[in-house]
Amino acid sequence: MTSPAQPSPMRLEEIVGPSHVVTNPAELSAWRVNHKDPRAAVQPTEAAQVAEIIRYAGAGGLGLIPSGGRTKLGIGLPPTRYDIALDLSRMNRVLAYDPEDLTLGVEPGVRVEDLRRTLLEEKQFLPLAVPFADRATLGGIAAANSNSPMRHSYGGVRDFCLGMEFVTGDGLQAKSGGRVVKNVTGYDLHKLLIGSLGTLAVITRLNFRTFPIPPVQRTFVASFRAAEPAFEFCQAIANSVLMPEIVEIADPAAAAIMLTKEPLASIDGRLWSVVIRTTGQSAVVNRCDQELSQLAVTAKAASLDALAGSDASSLLSGICEFPQLVLGTNPSALIFRIGLLPSALPSLHGIFSRLANRNRLGLVTLSRATGFMYAALLPERGTECVPAAMANIANEIFQACSAPEISAQTMLEWCPTEINAAVGTLWGTPRADSALMKRMKVVFDPKGILSPGRFAREI
Amino acid sequence: MASHLVRDLTVLLGPKAVLHKPEDLMLYEYDGSVETASPECIVFPKTTEEVSEIVRIANRYEAPLLGRGAGTGLSGGAVARAGGLVIVFSRMNRILSVDAENQRAVVQPGVVNLDLSRAVEHLGLYFAPDPSSQKSCTIGGNVSENSGGPHTLAFGVTTNHVTGLELVLTDGEIVRVGSKTAETAGYDLTGVFVGSEGTFALVTEITVRLVRKSETVKTLLAVYDTLDDATESVAEITRRAITPAACEMLDGFTLRAVEDYVHAGFPKDCAAVLLIEVEGLAEATIAQSAEITDVCRLHHAREVRVAKDDRERDLLWKGRKNAFGALGRLSPMYYVQDGVIPRTRLPETLRVIQDVSRRYDLRIGNIFHAGDGNLHPLILFDQRDPEEFKRVVAAGNEIMRHCISVGGALTGEHGIGMEKNELMPLMFSADDLALMGRVRAAFNPTGRLNPGKVLPLGKSCGEIRVHPLPVSVTAPA
Repeated sequence: MTSPAQPSPMRLEEIVGPSHVVTNPAELSAWRVNHKDPRAAVQPTEAAQVAEIIRYAGAGGLGLIPSGGRTKLGIGLPPTRYDIALDLSRMNRVLAYDPEDLTLGVEPGVRVEDLRRTLLEEKQFLPLAVPFADRATLGGIAAANSNSPMRHSYGGVRDFCLGMEFVTGDGLQAKSGGRVVKNVTGYDLHKLLIGSLGTLAVITRLNFRTFPIPPVQRTFVASFRAAEPAFEFCQAIANSVLMPEIVEIADPAAAAIMLTKEPLASIDGRLWSVVIRTTGQSAVVNRCDQELSQLAVTAKAASLDALAGSDASSLLSGICEFPQLVLGTNPSALIFRIGLLPSALPSLHGIFSRLANRNRLGLVTLSRATGFMYAALLPERGTECVPAAMANIANEIFQACSAPEISAQTMLEWCPTEINAAVGTLWGTPRADSALMKRMKVVFDPKGILSPGRFAREI
Repeated sequence: MASHLVRDLTVLLGPKAVLHKPEDLMLYEYDGSVETASPECIVFPKTTEEVSEIVRIANRYEAPLLGRGAGTGLSGGAVARAGGLVIVFSRMNRILSVDAENQRAVVQPGVVNLDLSRAVEHLGLYFAPDPSSQKSCTIGGNVSENSGGPHTLAFGVTTNHVTGLELVLTDGEIVRVGSKTAETAGYDLTGVFVGSEGTFALVTEITVRLVRKSETVKTLLAVYDTLDDATESVAEITRRAITPAACEMLDGFTLRAVEDYVHAGFPKDCAAVLLIEVEGLAEATIAQSAEITDVCRLHHAREVRVAKDDRERDLLWKGRKNAFGALGRLSPMYYVQDGVIPRTRLPETLRVIQDVSRRYDLRIGNIFHAGDGNLHPLILFDQRDPEEFKRVVAAGNEIMRHCISVGGALTGEHGIGMEKNELMPLMFSADDLALMGRVRAAFNPTGRLNPGKVLPLGKSCGEIRVHPLPVSVTAPA
């Protein structure tokens, strides 16, 4: 075989027009992934152009990484090849919005913040309170399966995404699902793309169901002096008749980080905070208020406060932007995202605490009562971070999380490139179904050109 | 004479777990659809390991095979289209564990849907998907078909309630996908599997979410003198973003049949009723039922009544859930469709169905999940009249084409199976179908697992045609 092909700017310009191909090295750093710059960035506006670019890349064996708002390109292993940045930010049209049917179809480059404004006009919303809210796009949110505190009541992207159109690694323009709220026609291929980090196909359209904005919402913070009563309080809420929209558990360090942006009277950076948002008609919210007060007394909360509107929104934004806030405080942080059963939350927190103490690392955690935890390990500022040593710690975490009594699903979502490369996996030891995942990769991207090596070493 | 296949299966499972006599096989020729085909052998495994061994034996003889629960499916998913072996999961019917604190249960595929809800009722929990056949259909079947039900309007269909699966792949390997947690590492294999209609692998264990029962439930019955008023009410309930737990519609023709059969309390002289349920905190159900009553009155409901107790509520639901059976009393056969439309297109679509009924001279009952636009036109016919059957198929196609033309889907909860697979090109391009075929082939490379389902059999779609297995097949050397 000859030396790896170079993307031909001329050919790319033929596809998308001359002003939408970037080859100037200084500008290309905008699409940098794990210290690696692409050799060209191309900005299509149509699915057909995406297909043509992918077929072109496939013919030359060029590695291609799709992006939108470029907020989450740090998630994933370092790519084994990166020739073309497929920038979808110009595919930013709302293709169909039927507020009366509560359904929506958008291109992948639509920013979640712009969409929020559009839906707000009809008093509707998508339950995606995700990180990087100002710049994140719908395609990127789906590809990274961004977690949202609203998962508690609305589920994740997979639960309200009705269908997708996409282009596979061999340039096939395909779709699955549909545009109606209930549908079992054909295989739900789009579910595979959610959380696939751009390794299976490039999303060109997403269909969602939308939701009415509840008439009243009220946010509460309950404070606790220790972890156990905070988690017990959440379990009591789960066992009650209440159906809050959000139940988040911030450890003292997380509360402190969220306060750095905007101090709030009702949050004490020395205590554990449980943040609850209830929604509905005002009679419903008032009833929740009463019930929560009783549960808080039983759980021996240090305090329970209802937040004023502006405080509530700045606290919620702190919760949503947790990964960004942590990285802002400490760019060397290792942030794990962990799915687990609610009952295992306290033990998992204990495991992280012991490991952090032993290795003189800082620890910040933000948990969702429905069974999710962000746990960030923070190397001391100024100390040198040896990638191999940090990789050992990460592997220890993977192992502890997979112990039967925890049975957590762990992903090392954010960490410096050097550590990422040293760990060599996002998920820990390969699971029994890894072989099936590899088969899916071969089906969708037989030449291995889409975000190569970013999901797992061979994927 | 028993074949080598039957012999090997009998050695594995014992004679009581293997059926192969024609009179026994007849019972497994059909499911809840109009499709039939004859299998050659039925087996009843008790363990995952037995299922794995059965698959290996079937492979030795290149026999087609498929899994089957209670056989209540409505699209031929559990019909052995290419003959061969049917694995019936009725003996794998144990609830393996219930974790009330985390609202999870682990069940075998043969557990009956309603049995799970009954088993966890004392914990204040239930399994949300509630197909009309929930008294007999199995959770394994629900996973294969991604089943819905009236209450999926608010609580989601099966895929929203399954977090992990144990599978036996087509080479006999046992693999777990997903987990007990809502978030799973790696690709969402559970997500792509649910609803794959038994064509990817056999399911031997299922981890499901359980849902906490609401504090209060209110059931409303709105009675209308015109079909349009009923459908307009549904469109307006959606438009006003009221989210009932269920919103079902029965047209006059259907409810008269139901009333004669079940005596549920539906007025027989009306054109349509809506059966609407709201759930939640007492304060929420009071507010929602008041608003729904307003909408219904605005659209000329002649009566809106709230079920006064559980008995009345159960009776109304009994009427709804037994409606197919009630219409079955009027005609030797019925063909039920499952198209979905955007909710805003409900009024015009019902008019189209009435028009089709007139033009094809066929009786069509409508009883369906109005709140999510999931239609169930029931076309009554007599299968002994081939000319009538032709009209039924043509009428059905016309209704389906209308659903697709307004942006809808072929099936909301019954599945494609062998009934609608040739209609798939109405919704999907050749490339879409080719990719679906490739994904299936990645799971099921020989195509011998549940052949002839979901994708069209045309030459372009990579469907592997499997010929019926002769009963006297001999063992390879």
